[in-house]
Amino acid sequence: MSLPLAALGTLAWRNLWRNHRRTLIMLAAIAIGVWAMIFMAALMRGMTDQMVRNGLQTLPGELQLHQRDYRRDPSVVNSMEPPAGELLQVLQSAPVAGWAGRVRVPAVISSERGSRSVTLLGIDPEAEQALGSLPEDLFEGRGLEGKGDRGLVIGASLARRLETALGKRVVIMSQDPDNNVAERGARVVGIYRGRLQGDEDRFVYAGRAAVQELLGIGQQISEIAVSGNDYRRVDEWYPRIAAAAGSGLETLTWTELDPFLGSMLAVQDGFTLVFMVVVFLALSFGLVNTLVMAIFERVREIGLMQALGMRPGLILGQIMLESLFLLCLGLVAGNLLAVLTIAPLASGIDISSVAQGMEMMGMSATLYPALHVQDMLMSTAVVIILGLLASLAPAWRASRLDPVAALTRD
Amino acid sequence: MSDIACRELCKTFHQGGETITALDHVSLDIEEGSFVCLFGPSGSGKTTLLNALGGLDTPDSGAITVGGQRLDGLSRGELADLRLHNIGFVFQAYNLITVLTARENVEFIMQVQGVPAGERRALATRVLEEVGLAGLEGRRPGELSGGQQQRVAVARAIATSPALVLADEPTANLDSRSAAQLMDLFVTLNKERGVTFVISTHDARVMGYARRLIGMRDGLIVSDEQQQPHAMDV
Amino acid sequence: MNVTWVLAWRNLWRHRRRTWLTVAAMVFSNILLIFLVSLQLGSYQMMIDGSLAAFTGHIQIQHRDYHEQQHMYQDVPAVVDLATRVRALPGVEAASARAEAFALASSAERSFGILLTGVQPRFEPAVSTFPGKLREGRYLRDGDEQAIVIGAVLAQNLKVAVGDELTFLGSGRDGSFAAGVATVIGIIDSGLEEVDRSMAQVPLGWFQQVFAMGDAGHAVVVRAPSVDQVQATASALRSQPAPTGELVVLDWETLVPGLRQAIQSDMTSAWFTYGVLVVLVAFGVLNTQLMSVLERTREFGVMLALGMSPGRLARLVGIETLLLAGLGLGLGLVGGGLLSWYLSVAGFIYPGVEEMMERFMLGGRIYPEVSAVSMLIGPAAVFVGAMLAALYPALRLFRLRPVAAMQVA
Ligand SMILES: Nc1ncnc2c1ncn2[C@@H]1O[C@H](COP(=O)(O)OP(=O)(O)OP(=O)(O)O)[C@@H](O)[C@H]1O
Ligand SMILES: [Mg+2]
Repeated sequence: MSLPLAALGTLAWRNLWRNHRRTLIMLAAIAIGVWAMIFMAALMRGMTDQMVRNGLQTLPGELQLHQRDYRRDPSVVNSMEPPAGELLQVLQSAPVAGWAGRVRVPAVISSERGSRSVTLLGIDPEAEQALGSLPEDLFEGRGLEGKGDRGLVIGASLARRLETALGKRVVIMSQDPDNNVAERGARVVGIYRGRLQGDEDRFVYAGRAAVQELLGIGQQISEIAVSGNDYRRVDEWYPRIAAAAGSGLETLTWTELDPFLGSMLAVQDGFTLVFMVVVFLALSFGLVNTLVMAIFERVREIGLMQALGMRPGLILGQIMLESLFLLCLGLVAGNLLAVLTIAPLASGIDISSVAQGMEMMGMSATLYPALHVQDMLMSTAVVIILGLLASLAPAWRASRLDPVAALTRD
Repeated sequence: MSDIACRELCKTFHQGGETITALDHVSLDIEEGSFVCLFGPSGSGKTTLLNALGGLDTPDSGAITVGGQRLDGLSRGELADLRLHNIGFVFQAYNLITVLTARENVEFIMQVQGVPAGERRALATRVLEEVGLAGLEGRRPGELSGGQQQRVAVARAIATSPALVLADEPTANLDSRSAAQLMDLFVTLNKERGVTFVISTHDARVMGYARRLIGMRDGLIVSDEQQQPHAMDV
Repeated sequence: MNVTWVLAWRNLWRHRRRTWLTVAAMVFSNILLIFLVSLQLGSYQMMIDGSLAAFTGHIQIQHRDYHEQQHMYQDVPAVVDLATRVRALPGVEAASARAEAFALASSAERSFGILLTGVQPRFEPAVSTFPGKLREGRYLRDGDEQAIVIGAVLAQNLKVAVGDELTFLGSGRDGSFAAGVATVIGIIDSGLEEVDRSMAQVPLGWFQQVFAMGDAGHAVVVRAPSVDQVQATASALRSQPAPTGELVVLDWETLVPGLRQAIQSDMTSAWFTYGVLVVLVAFGVLNTQLMSVLERTREFGVMLALGMSPGRLARLVGIETLLLAGLGLGLGLVGGGLLSWYLSVAGFIYPGVEEMMERFMLGGRIYPEVSAVSMLIGPAAVFVGAMLAALYPALRLFRLRPVAAMQVA
């Protein structure tokens, strides 16, 4: 027997508006709940997205290749030859959007007024461009002009701590493959502002060839960073590169390189879902209450329908439809509300008052809430699935009412 | 189809330690096309009997057969289907679904039965006209008088061409004019379509319409006689 | 007991199911709020304790510019004497002197930049948990010279083990070249990769020699009896006559501003959650009370006709809501209290977020903090929300006209 949906639909819809005040209050509650779900999800997603992006720009890349032992022993000794042959071919074809070979060594930088330990990055500025790994905000001076550039670009915070300035000379000290101190004076040609203050203190940029010369390692590099511009899809192309790299190199994705960062996505999804379910649970009492009341008010009518020959299943279906209409209206209103409130915030929410706390979590001072269809769908799924589950109990009770008792109820 | 047979029906209610016998070994046969009135004092068991015949309520013991179909052993769903297709109910009051208009009330059951829209509409218009409600199809129950509401209920009951209509004090809330109109309607349907009517009532004038009068008291059938029907004076 | 209250109580149970559902919504939210707030406060406490106990301490006395600029010459003169005097003050649980320098550490095979700290071996364990996280060898002792303990990752990177020698190079206080050779006597595994990568400690006296510090250092690290008492101890320290005008007393909020802000930013999202819960419960109460008023329109009409004032009726509705909310409050407190108390004993683990926890010094289990604040703040908000929600239904009564009301079917 096909369900006479049209008949039940009309009935459910009209019944919904029998007590319009109650329905409107419940609608408002659902709408607020749904709005909260999506808003929270957008904030969370904005945070995670930013953390992951910042993290990837610092790493950099969604994929890195190292000499086998480099990660265990991050020394210049464990450098690798620049990519050639098959590996080079893979790196130069889609979906790789950019790659860069870089020298990364621990170093000590000293001015007359102090010294700090830093990470010295020998880079090819052009190649880094594609990775977005260079500091965007050059505060003073100029950026590096090619891999042969002999100047240094340091962070503003580091410059302050070293009491050095643009154009001044500093000494950079590191270790060559024979464990001799390799040392060279260099001029500060640029001072950058980092996304995070920690980065400003930590990273010093120099031309790759200049660093290779300082360390006496020829053309060797420490790592190759690769980006495909979508951190969610690395797994699709990762195996090709790993295969081309061979066993002498270690190929790792960002989730392995930075487990903290890697855990973020799962944590965010988990948290968002838990939040949505909790909000829904708070809503569900009202929903069940509304249905119980709606049924209570028309017990007699339900008895009548049974007398007219409506199967219990149809009675149940009718109540479920009523609940579904209520949920759907609430969802539409809640989603609209979410879109309307999140859109004006797209340019970012200033959270600089807690900037350093955010930095502990790897984020910067502006939060961009990100409205994703996925979250809207998730909230819809949570509300519909759990909503219908919650409605099942009252609807079931209504369908099992004793018709005679229901008819004689006054 | 509407031959009704009950054998040894018993139904008791327990209320506050007291046991009330609503049906006490009731046996009864009603042939197809009958026009039967149940009468008796309040509490004598009329409603209980009608509910049992319609499969709304299950007796404690005894057997009911409607149109050759044993009711005991049927599931709630099967009983519902039986009512949907074969039995029409008219109650004393609150017969209609309040959120639906007169036409929708009539169409509703047909829609559940799966009657195509066009046919449904035509049929609803016709029966509403037949019961004298032409022009009032779009009104909701709250906008109709008690008599009009009862006529919508009748229209609904007959639209699906049931073989049996069970009416529990259908005129109790009506003035005598409306009551007479309703009873005339019943008689017409009984004559022209052969619909079996079983009507419970306190009203002597309603009893006048019946061809068979069954008297009840304390759950027992105390009289059962054929009579020459006579319409009530208005 | 007052008849109005009896009436209100009976009215509440006209619709048992509805009343229970409304109470259940409140109880659910109350339990959840108590749980979340006590968990939140508990984890903040642990974050603060964990972070500060690791290295920073509760309070540090430094040169007034050192925190910002960290130059070697921004020092604390006679740092050991100062630490000794501070240690004797009331409200100070422990105090230890430190000096710090960045240096390049080299083993036979490798070189890495490190943060070298000169410490008082006897007092350092009382202000920092690092000495206790020794994995191999031993911690520094008074009188040690040319001895160094280093972080585990650093040891691995430098390829050194206990007994090996390390050379370190840096600049002294006066900018002169400073170099020293020390034997690794212990390796510390704090579990925090960042720290274990760069941490190295040597005896303060020897540090002062190598880096030409004289009797100066960079900080006196102070531990108060508890985090709550930090402010009291800090003001006590500030009121002491300073040996030189250049010193400042910095509490942990200044030393690690990120910590307080991380807590604040976390709180912001937490308040959002709590607000949503309270609003949703209030809507539930609004719905219930409005229904209960509407369905009694006729009854209220009769009461008005009998000469009862709308104010009295509104009061009745108010009392009903009060009883309803009180029921939710009471049951919620019992439920939430039991849950939090159980967890405060057994501990609670967020599944699957270990890396995140570690970053905030929340290794393993969190023990919720059960206090009057954590117990009452959520339920009180729910209670107030419920009472506010009853305003609309109660105020509607003032618009009720007896005749019209009595005609309502
Ligand atoms: N649900 C019930 N619970 C308890 N007793 C019931 C119940 N339904 C009916 N009864 C009792 O069963 C007996 C028969 O009731 P029934 O409704 O069949 O009488 P009736 O003849 O229809 O009366 P009336 O003319 O007043 O409608 C009565 O004594 C009644 O009190
Ligand atoms: Mg009766």
